[in-house]
Amino acid sequence: MSDILTKAGLRELAKEWIAEGKVVAGPVQTKPGLVLYAPLASADDIVWEGFVRPANSVKEFVFPRHELLCRYHLEGNRVELTNGEAELAAQILLGVRPCDAAALPILDHVFNWDYRDEAYNRRREATTVVTLACSSHDESCFCTSVGLGPQAERGSDVMLFDLGEEFEVRCLTDKGRALFAGKTQASERTAPLSKGPKPRFTPEHIKQFVDEQFASPFWQDETLACLGCGACAYNCPTCHCFDIVDEGNSQNGERVRNWDSCQFVQFTLHASGHNPRPEQGSRQRQRVLHKFSIYPDKFGEILCTGCGNCTRNCPEGQGLLTLLTEIEHAG
Amino acid sequence: MSQANQFEPKIIAYVCNWCTYLGADLAGTTRLEYPANVRIIRLPCTGRIDFNLLIKAFEIGADAVLVSGCHPGDCHYSAGNYHARRRWILFRDLLDTLGFDLRRIYFTWISAAEGRKWQEEIIRITEETRKLGPYRELYQKNGFRPPAFPLPPKLPAPDNSRMTANEQRLRETCTRLLTEGTVHVVIGYGAGGPVFIRRAEDVGKLVWNTDCQANLATYLKRKEIRRLGKAAVVVKGCDERGLVILEKESQVDRQTLRVIGMACDGMGQPKCDTCEVHQPRFADEFIGEAAAPTPATQHAAALDALMQMSPAERMSWWAQEFERCVKCYACRQVCPLCYCERCIADKNRPVAIDTSATPKGNFAWHITRAFHLAGRCVGCGECARACPAGIPLGLLNLTLARAAEKHFGYQAGMDPKVEPLIGSYALTDKEDFIR
Repeated sequence: MSDILTKAGLRELAKEWIAEGKVVAGPVQTKPGLVLYAPLASADDIVWEGFVRPANSVKEFVFPRHELLCRYHLEGNRVELTNGEAELAAQILLGVRPCDAAALPILDHVFNWDYRDEAYNRRREATTVVTLACSSHDESCFCTSVGLGPQAERGSDVMLFDLGEEFEVRCLTDKGRALFAGKTQASERTAPLSKGPKPRFTPEHIKQFVDEQFASPFWQDETLACLGCGACAYNCPTCHCFDIVDEGNSQNGERVRNWDSCQFVQFTLHASGHNPRPEQGSRQRQRVLHKFSIYPDKFGEILCTGCGNCTRNCPEGQGLLTLLTEIEHAG
Repeated sequence: MSQANQFEPKIIAYVCNWCTYLGADLAGTTRLEYPANVRIIRLPCTGRIDFNLLIKAFEIGADAVLVSGCHPGDCHYSAGNYHARRRWILFRDLLDTLGFDLRRIYFTWISAAEGRKWQEEIIRITEETRKLGPYRELYQKNGFRPPAFPLPPKLPAPDNSRMTANEQRLRETCTRLLTEGTVHVVIGYGAGGPVFIRRAEDVGKLVWNTDCQANLATYLKRKEIRRLGKAAVVVKGCDERGLVILEKESQVDRQTLRVIGMACDGMGQPKCDTCEVHQPRFADEFIGEAAAPTPATQHAAALDALMQMSPAERMSWWAQEFERCVKCYACRQVCPLCYCERCIADKNRPVAIDTSATPKGNFAWHITRAFHLAGRCVGCGECARACPAGIPLGLLNLTLARAAEKHFGYQAGMDPKVEPLIGSYALTDKEDFIR
């Protein structure tokens, strides 16, 4: 037994959500050859097929690339602080890939570890994740290497499975049930298990290698092609580094939080001019180390969901997978 | 007192210390009245005015901006105003493409003796701006959806058999260079992206096919690569134009660098669409003969279509495009000509360009990136190819390339003997928009 909903029915439902003032976001064909997660102006804008996964990630909806933390006003010796955004609409992320959804519980750790991050948590609580199980993958995908897969449920409130004209709907949380209660029909049809990409490496090997080979010339030799942009980190569902800056003048301004990336020279540059990660090799090493050793040591899970966005977005065709397969062969 | 709701334009005037500031001073001492709408900012010289200041003025609420300095020939630093004039000719076209309201930007020459001209100009500018009303269109999305631009054409796929033959010749050439010890490393294309071949037995990793899109000249700026020793770099005609600029700007030493020029019939990519150099011209090693180039103008057609819109529509269109910018700086990092040790976007004491991915921060960054490449960009199209958000950055570069050609007959990286466009000037530079 399963619950199903026609695709047209889901579209109507999305229209209702938008009409209720909820933010509904999903994969949108931004331009030919480019699908991005974006807020839907209309329920018809969402695209369900014809691509493997969007080029960006849904982290943007809980951890925006630019977030106002507070406004300041200085007058004489007086400082006046006002909060950032007041109201936050409920948001529904629709057609999310399992590798994106799985990143959200990972991000939860870091934003609730030694400090409960208000800005993050309020967005996170306002968010319901409706995931579409994958039916295709490409050569950049490696979810199966990090313990996930095309039908992984981690981080999702609802799972959808494509049955052609309908979706099979599996509600996993109360948030999810609240959205679909009474909207689905009982059916005998269930989605078949789908196969993910062939595993490319074992995370234990990677961890062992990065822990043992910190000073290896491997890092420098294998990362020569990296140009040091943030295309990998900014489109990664799990990368979460940020920078807090004040923008404004001596009277009025804003304190904002912007994304940052360990691949930038300036990320670790000291005021003295010294840079503890002086080369791209050490910056790339940091990225792998953080994802496969530091984070697992601290939180017990890998900081990577195998979405492959780093590879797809790298202008020079590199990405984590390139390095990880090299490590697998070297180790 | 006038009615409280009457619009009083704010005008920011960037003036040079030696002529226009004294002209304005003279207007004051001779008791010439002019509207109090103008706020004067004194700078050493018009040549010293970073054009980002114009943009900043609008961002903080200016309704019009004036730049004014010494008349041609009168500059107290001999040529500052000539440099300003040349830069302004190009910058104007860039702002036009971005949809700025050019009616709100004024450029004049006012000498220390022209107190009356200062008075007249300020009266005129204030009146004209009052008629235009407040500048509300800045960075605004007005919901305007442009007609779909012509899609980049599917260029005929290059002949792969010719490419395979050239791939073989490329490997032979690199074997020779590495065995003879002429170079220590060959920067070339591999199956999964750029490769850096240091041993002759590894030349089999080099490939030559339609995936060889990257401009490898960009690696010459990286210290990680420079450390590998004397290099040979595999370039296409478009990439090689970048080398011409890099050499002109003392960034590469052609005495030690070996250039392997690959004939290229186009990679079947949008960026090949405006390419005029299929055959490298200054390489040390030439491989292959390019077929006659197919003239294609679709990319240019997209710019034409953009320019058919009104300025407010263009600005709205760019605001929508820039909205997707995440500030990953892939556009900067892939560009062979963006080689500054510390980019202006990374300056934080004080901040020159907001790091925030807001309309303000995004416009500031993309204007700066494009303008710092004025007269330098060779149109290799790497910025647009690298952009994960699919922002057509090439249109900004194309605007400036067209402006350089139209106003100065200049094409970057075509002729190594020609003086760089920015950094030089001519007494004959057109100034029909300057009063």
